[in-house]
Amino acid sequence: MLLFRSEEMVDLWCASHDIPRRPLVNLTQLWQLAVQWYGNRLTVESRRPAPDEMVSIFSALGLTGPFWDPKSDQWR
Amino acid sequence: MPDYDLETKVKLAIYEITAETGRIPNSSAVSQKIDIDESEVVAAFGRLHTKRLVLPEPDDPSRIRMAPPFSGIETAFPVEANGRNYFANCVWDAYGIAAALHCDAVSRASDGHTGEPLTLEVKNGQPVLRRYVAHFAVPAAHWWDNLIFT
Repeated sequence: MLLFRSEEMVDLWCASHDIPRRPLVNLTQLWQLAVQWYGNRLTVESRRPAPDEMVSIFSALGLTGPFWDPKSDQWR
Repeated sequence: MPDYDLETKVKLAIYEITAETGRIPNSSAVSQKIDIDESEVVAAFGRLHTKRLVLPEPDDPSRIRMAPPFSGIETAFPVEANGRNYFANCVWDAYGIAAALHCDAVSRASDGHTGEPLTLEVKNGQPVLRRYVAHFAVPAAHWWDNLIFT
């Protein structure tokens, strides 16, 4: 998961690495992902979100579809 | 430390030492901190890996490569927080360190294509917004297939 100045830089990077362009996430979404994922990471209760919880977290940020579904078999 | 199960003790020790030092501890350091035999700590590392909470070094189960959001090695995502220096595994984890430590942070990162310096910042508990974007190259179903690449 890399950071880019702009979408144009993403396209250039994908072309140079022969990697298909996949979803982009803005900094507001990225911060919310970080808070949801890691906010309690140093606590007793911390754990990785279960697959359905992951889908829920992504969906709340507008990140939907098979790419964001940890149970998707679209790329298998 | 309260009477938590072994795995929880190990997990808490990993993250406490990392937060305090900026470096992910090996099994020896965790063993000393919680006074548990090192072989049991290594076994707990394996179980935490199964739960996708840490990633041990492939060729050395006594060392941890990733205790997300923290990295056990230097990366392109250094993070300054609480007066300490950390390394994040990726751009998501750069913000993740600020979220995990509940503090402001600065990550002097760089553009994935050009290498141009790009700074990520959390101030007063909120991200300083810029028009940067993060690219997720790997679908969620495959993040742990090769976490180092992801």
